[in-house]
Amino acid sequence: MGTDAFPTGVLGRFEGPNTVGSGTRFWAALAVTVVALLAYPSVVGPFAAGQLTRYLVSAFLALSLAFVWGYAGILSFGQNAFYGLSGYAFAVVVGNLASPLGTTVGVGVAILFGALSALVLGYFMFYGGVRDVYVTITTLVVTIVLNTYGKTASQVFVGSVNLGGDTGVGIGEITLGAGPATYTLVQPATYYVIVAVLLATYLGLRALVNSDFGRVMVAIREDEDRAEMLGYDVKFRKLVVFTIGGGIAGLGGVTYMAWGYSITPEVVFSAAAAAYPVVWVSVGGRKTLSGPIVAAVAIEWLRTTASVQFPEFAKIGVGVLMIASILLLPDGVVPGLRGASRYFDRHGLADGSRLAIDRARRAVGRRVGGPIAVDESSEVVQE
Amino acid sequence: MVNGLNLAFQYLQGFSVLVLAAVGLAIIFGIMGVINLAHGEFIMVGAYATVFGYHDLGLPLVASMALAVGVTAAFGMVVERLLIKRTYGRLFDSMVVTLGLSLVLSQGMLVLRGTSEPSVPTPFGTISYGAFSQSVYRVALALAAVAVLVGVYWLFTRTEYGIRARATIQDEGTARALGVRTERVYSTTFAIGSALAGLAGALLAPIVSVTPTMGGTYLVKSFVVVVVGGPSVVLGTGLSGGLLGAVDAVVTNVYGQTAGSIVLLVVTVVVIRFFQDGVTGFTDRVRDRLAREGT
Amino acid sequence: MSESTGQDVNVRTTAAQRATGTNTDTLLQTDGLVKQFGGFTATDAVDFSVEAGEIRCLIGPNGAGKSTLMKLVTGQHAATAGSIYFNGFDVTDDAPNERIDRGLSMKFQVPSVFEDLTVRENLRLPNQRLADGDERRRRVDEALAAADLADVEDTRAGDLSHGRQQQLEIGMAASLDPDLLLLDEPVAGLSVDERAAIADRIRTLNEERDVAFVVIEHDTEFVAEIADRVTVLHQGDIFREGPIEEIEDDPEVQRIYLGTDGDAEGDAR
Repeated sequence: MGTDAFPTGVLGRFEGPNTVGSGTRFWAALAVTVVALLAYPSVVGPFAAGQLTRYLVSAFLALSLAFVWGYAGILSFGQNAFYGLSGYAFAVVVGNLASPLGTTVGVGVAILFGALSALVLGYFMFYGGVRDVYVTITTLVVTIVLNTYGKTASQVFVGSVNLGGDTGVGIGEITLGAGPATYTLVQPATYYVIVAVLLATYLGLRALVNSDFGRVMVAIREDEDRAEMLGYDVKFRKLVVFTIGGGIAGLGGVTYMAWGYSITPEVVFSAAAAAYPVVWVSVGGRKTLSGPIVAAVAIEWLRTTASVQFPEFAKIGVGVLMIASILLLPDGVVPGLRGASRYFDRHGLADGSRLAIDRARRAVGRRVGGPIAVDESSEVVQE
Repeated sequence: MVNGLNLAFQYLQGFSVLVLAAVGLAIIFGIMGVINLAHGEFIMVGAYATVFGYHDLGLPLVASMALAVGVTAAFGMVVERLLIKRTYGRLFDSMVVTLGLSLVLSQGMLVLRGTSEPSVPTPFGTISYGAFSQSVYRVALALAAVAVLVGVYWLFTRTEYGIRARATIQDEGTARALGVRTERVYSTTFAIGSALAGLAGALLAPIVSVTPTMGGTYLVKSFVVVVVGGPSVVLGTGLSGGLLGAVDAVVTNVYGQTAGSIVLLVVTVVVIRFFQDGVTGFTDRVRDRLAREGT
Repeated sequence: MSESTGQDVNVRTTAAQRATGTNTDTLLQTDGLVKQFGGFTATDAVDFSVEAGEIRCLIGPNGAGKSTLMKLVTGQHAATAGSIYFNGFDVTDDAPNERIDRGLSMKFQVPSVFEDLTVRENLRLPNQRLADGDERRRRVDEALAAADLADVEDTRAGDLSHGRQQQLEIGMAASLDPDLLLLDEPVAGLSVDERAAIADRIRTLNEERDVAFVVIEHDTEFVAEIADRVTVLHQGDIFREGPIEEIEDDPEVQRIYLGTDGDAEGDAR
């Protein structure tokens, strides 16, 4: 799959058949995007940067589902569960250990907690022989249970931290470090840190997905039985993928707390909240990693803006978007764009457009029926 | 003794609601394997149509309910043709599409009619015993639930459609080879499932608050019943409704509504994990089919 | 560099490296194998055995239980009762992928290649478990040549003709260096030439790489061409077993087919 002459040695690990985009053009575009992201706060000011931070947090959740659904075929409504559990775990650790070292440890604990919850649920499901649709239902049910329980847990204490029922739990500031070397994370530093972590996560997943491991995951997604009959331990691999997905969702939970400093059950565990990652990944393209990130940021931005201007229509818009994206672009926007870009690459803009219109006309003509509707430019001679 | 009676009435209502809400979903899922995440909204449409018929059109209650069933059935046919048909064989895609539909419907209704509807009177009055009185409607509802189950049984065993539908579930390829128009079977099935959802909404209208977001709770309830019930639509839904209704009534009585919901959901997960067969043996059926198509 | 994958048993095993248990003449042995689906008995206490290096054909009318028996051997169905021994090991409770590591491999009845992947990528999947780098590339090249697919290595597998998909799938199964290869209807719907090519492939693998075969097929000519022995299944149990010549002439066998399957001399009808 050699493309432009870029040092494929190092960057080659990040390219492959399982992600969209490779070669000079792609990496250049990515570099430009990163630079733009880094320059953003200076250009638009702290408030807008804070908004974008929120959307970038959603990107972690999107990546988590894209990984698990797009690359192992597991449609999970449970990423929110791990995301939320991680956020709560962080708040609990920070609240109990009330120290910079405690907070630093809290980051690790929270992410691990996300991964661990996924491990437990994944083991329960995959090693219990739960398949396909029932996995999806189970993850949805688990998330709803967390919501139902969370809203009533108003005087439940973990150590000294009250889980707070439907008002949730909050943290003060985030000061990391130990002893004399401490650092308090505030905007816009928070924004930069999140951008950096997101980029690292994206690249890491990209390498993983294009590796041997990633290829097997794709095989499992396409045909589990066939993959198993090639000697792969499908249950174990699904568990590994699901756990990693939980870890990424956990990472999202920590960044969420770094942005908002508080968490409530409704925001993370409600069925509506659990549906959004599905929207982002469907629209963005479930067989890519960049698609869901872009879609998450774009859709969240649209939704938030729409909620302010046209509050009633925001959700309707999301619903329509979901329907349209599945029916019209079942592989998502990013692959759709790539398909379009390839098509025009091949035929050129002018020719390509003409060909497309011809084909459309012929397709419509066929339905109307009869030789009369056949396009004159076709070679078919009607007897 | 009196509390026992209270519990009994509560149970009857719980059982009826579960059965009525779930039977439409059970049919669609059982025959077509489609997960309609907008099922709760179909129930909502039925409730709204009933209120509309009663308050806006001035129809008597029964006629309003009939209207609701018709409207929801028609609506279901349109949805099947436009959306569901395009996602056959792609189960996850059908979930996403119906999830989107559910958002459009619930929000759309909110925009169209506001946050809640005027209520519809509960027919049949009440009966009193000691210091308590119970709505007779609760009993009527239970009778309706049983009647629906019987009706569905009759539908599947005594009508042309029923035979065709069962052939299609058993072995679509063979059914088609024998001349069954499976596409028609699916459209009709979806319409019937939608009609039953509409009926559930209609029957619920007198006793619950009719709001645009009411669909959510019923979706979850329906899922729980269908998953626990397994493939046999009549027996599964009936037994599952009976079982879960009892669990819900008891737990809610002792520990409250939230505990009741949580217990039901936990039961669902446990059943999925340990009795994937549901109460009436789902996976076996599928495995049967797989075994026979190989040979 | 061995790729550690947790539960996988003996990840990098080729035929040469694979350990065998006792009794290496009998490659596969089932002992009173039973499979019930609810009330229906698909496999009825079957004692089925295959010798190393043998080509066995499994035939029988529809509903006889051929695919079920095959799936019991691969582990896709869990046995209701009975045991299965492979290469001397008791594999009754082993997961399918564990049995693959013991030397078993199969081709599905419905062509199951990864349609959206290229031919090369399809062949890469079984080989990437067994080798890395250059060695891997060599194995894939060999597999491509053996399956006569070198000219379409970058084509999407779903775009291949049916016959070539069958060759690809056999190639994938063979890449695992199996001792026993199970083929479920490898020539259904193929042209005469394509069938000849598949028969050739089977014979080559059998002679050059000592692969034993169990082939489910309905085409009696094909069976006659490749089989050493034939096992006839009827209503879940073994009805007859023996060399093809005996089975061809057996009137009982013809009767259970109710004349729906032709015998090798079918022209009299």
